[in-house]
Amino acid sequence: MDFSKIIIIGLGNPLLGDDGVGWRVAEQVRELCEVDLDCLSVGGLSLMERLVGYDRAVLIDAITTGKQPTGSVSLYKLEDLPDLSAGHTGSAHDTSLQNALKLGQSMGVQLPTEVVVVGIEAQSVYEFSEVLSPPVAAAIPQAVQMVMELLK
Amino acid sequence: MERITIDPITRLEGHGKIEIFLDPEGNVANTYFQIPELRGFESFCVGRPVEEVPILTNRICGVCPEAHHMAGAKAADAVYHVDPPSTAKKLRELLYSAFFVTDHTTHFYALAGPDFIMGPDAPVAERNILGVIHKVGLEIGGKVIQCRKYGHTVVEMIGGRKVHPCTSIPGGLTKGITEEQRQEIEKMGRWAIEFAQFSLKLFNDIVLGNQAYVDLILGDIYTHHTYYIGTVDENNKVNFYDGKVSVVDPEGKRLGKYGPSEYTDWIAEHVEPWTYLKFPYLKKVGWKGFVDGKDSGVYMATPLSRLNASDGMATPLAQAEYEKFYSTLGGKPVHQRLTIHWARLVELLYAAERWVELASDPEITSDNFRTIPTEKPTEGVGIVEAPRGTLTHHYWTDERGITTKVNLIVGTTNNYAPISMSIKKAAQSLITKGTVVTEGLLNRVEMAFRAYDPCFGCATHSLPGQMPLEVTIRDHEGKTVDVLKQYC
Repeated sequence: MDFSKIIIIGLGNPLLGDDGVGWRVAEQVRELCEVDLDCLSVGGLSLMERLVGYDRAVLIDAITTGKQPTGSVSLYKLEDLPDLSAGHTGSAHDTSLQNALKLGQSMGVQLPTEVVVVGIEAQSVYEFSEVLSPPVAAAIPQAVQMVMELLK
Repeated sequence: MERITIDPITRLEGHGKIEIFLDPEGNVANTYFQIPELRGFESFCVGRPVEEVPILTNRICGVCPEAHHMAGAKAADAVYHVDPPSTAKKLRELLYSAFFVTDHTTHFYALAGPDFIMGPDAPVAERNILGVIHKVGLEIGGKVIQCRKYGHTVVEMIGGRKVHPCTSIPGGLTKGITEEQRQEIEKMGRWAIEFAQFSLKLFNDIVLGNQAYVDLILGDIYTHHTYYIGTVDENNKVNFYDGKVSVVDPEGKRLGKYGPSEYTDWIAEHVEPWTYLKFPYLKKVGWKGFVDGKDSGVYMATPLSRLNASDGMATPLAQAEYEKFYSTLGGKPVHQRLTIHWARLVELLYAAERWVELASDPEITSDNFRTIPTEKPTEGVGIVEAPRGTLTHHYWTDERGITTKVNLIVGTTNNYAPISMSIKKAAQSLITKGTVVTEGLLNRVEMAFRAYDPCFGCATHSLPGQMPLEVTIRDHEGKTVDVLKQYC
């Protein structure tokens, strides 16, 4: 595991309030250690394309389960998260990351065998703002810590 | 019938809400489709230097940032009353052509494809990109990924970033390209032309060669006779980056063309009390309600609209496909919404040919890519064709160039009225005399959306692929008969 290639990706839209938390956490991780890291605002196929060549990926993002207090930080395996486009062509522009990974793997592309998501429960992700809500901002250190643990 | 009041909280739920009202016989009287609009962008931009806005608008929509960036760039040029040099315009259009190739390819193979290549009756678990690739072969999956890679590379070379370009500033670009980059771009473009031709052939073999699909495409359920708009160049050929917006009536007669600064003479917005989003319509025709026909100001903006509103394609291979499109479908204009998927492939070929044309232009590597503005900034409009329809950005600033107001008419907004009409038709086909066919309803309604390629990803900001939908059916007294939900 020590020698596996890992990439950290901060996901989200920095202009949509709490949805920017993924980038903020990733930026702090970048200050703390030398690791392949990127801040992106993409999902599905484009996100899969960024993971090519890695063995493990850690995605950091806001999440809205509605089932936990705002600011809760949790770790999820990608395969445990719902795949909302399995068999469902709702959006005309993309597919789920799970589907996109399967597609890439079926074509023999080297993609991570392990993808985990550090999710921070968010409050407001539908309004344009560059400011995080206080409970989400307060969760950043805990999320950074979780990512650093995964890198050990 | 009771008045419906929208609780402001609903706009945060992030899913499409449809209310279907039945008449006393149990047939569909009316449908109301509420799009939760992502709001606040206009107020967010106030106080920003206008040259920042094209970079901010990248992030309105995760699906077509390039389109917003270009419309914004052109609006910012107009605010400063500056005309970029020819090289800058060509570089922007080159980036834009590569983006169109990527977007149209992804749309067709990942998402429109499943409706046709798998078929609307295929098992749900197979109606996605994996099912498509399984059916057409892994090699094709590889080509789709390759096409996306080439497109993103061009966007990165000219735009500075793979998906969210940032090199357009008032008066032009912050950088040009080298001869080495030009050669690479041209080579990728030639590959794209072949891939576009291959995709058209695939559509021809798999879709047009299948009578059931052809019946579906030509069926009445997704057919509306409305006005059509699309940007054309000075020869009235389709152009995605620049020109004037051509408007044609349901019989194909051109009502006129308008330049960016004239859009308010042509497009007005109608307000309904039960939804936040307004309904654009043609001012010169007037709002007559959610109805088809020459006397109704409802219009559509989609790939099909662009073909209908033009006199042809500006490149030879695409022109041949344009002619085949209309001769197969019985002439111009075409009204069946599902043919948008075919029109999209004709555009794909044009975008690839245009890519090579611009990459081969000797001016493209010139270092004259910026004109420094000298006039005081005031107000400006930028219009481009986003993959799903005409996109308008209108910015106002004070004399320092600080933004004071923003108005955007995005692709889906253009089509709000036609989408609502298509949903009503879809509902009517499945609800008669009080009998509701629930299993087919959500799928039929979704297929009505998908044909218009709506910006749902941006409005719902949910995981890609999801179309959260809640359909409530009420009887003629307003009492709930049934609620159907998916992903919400």
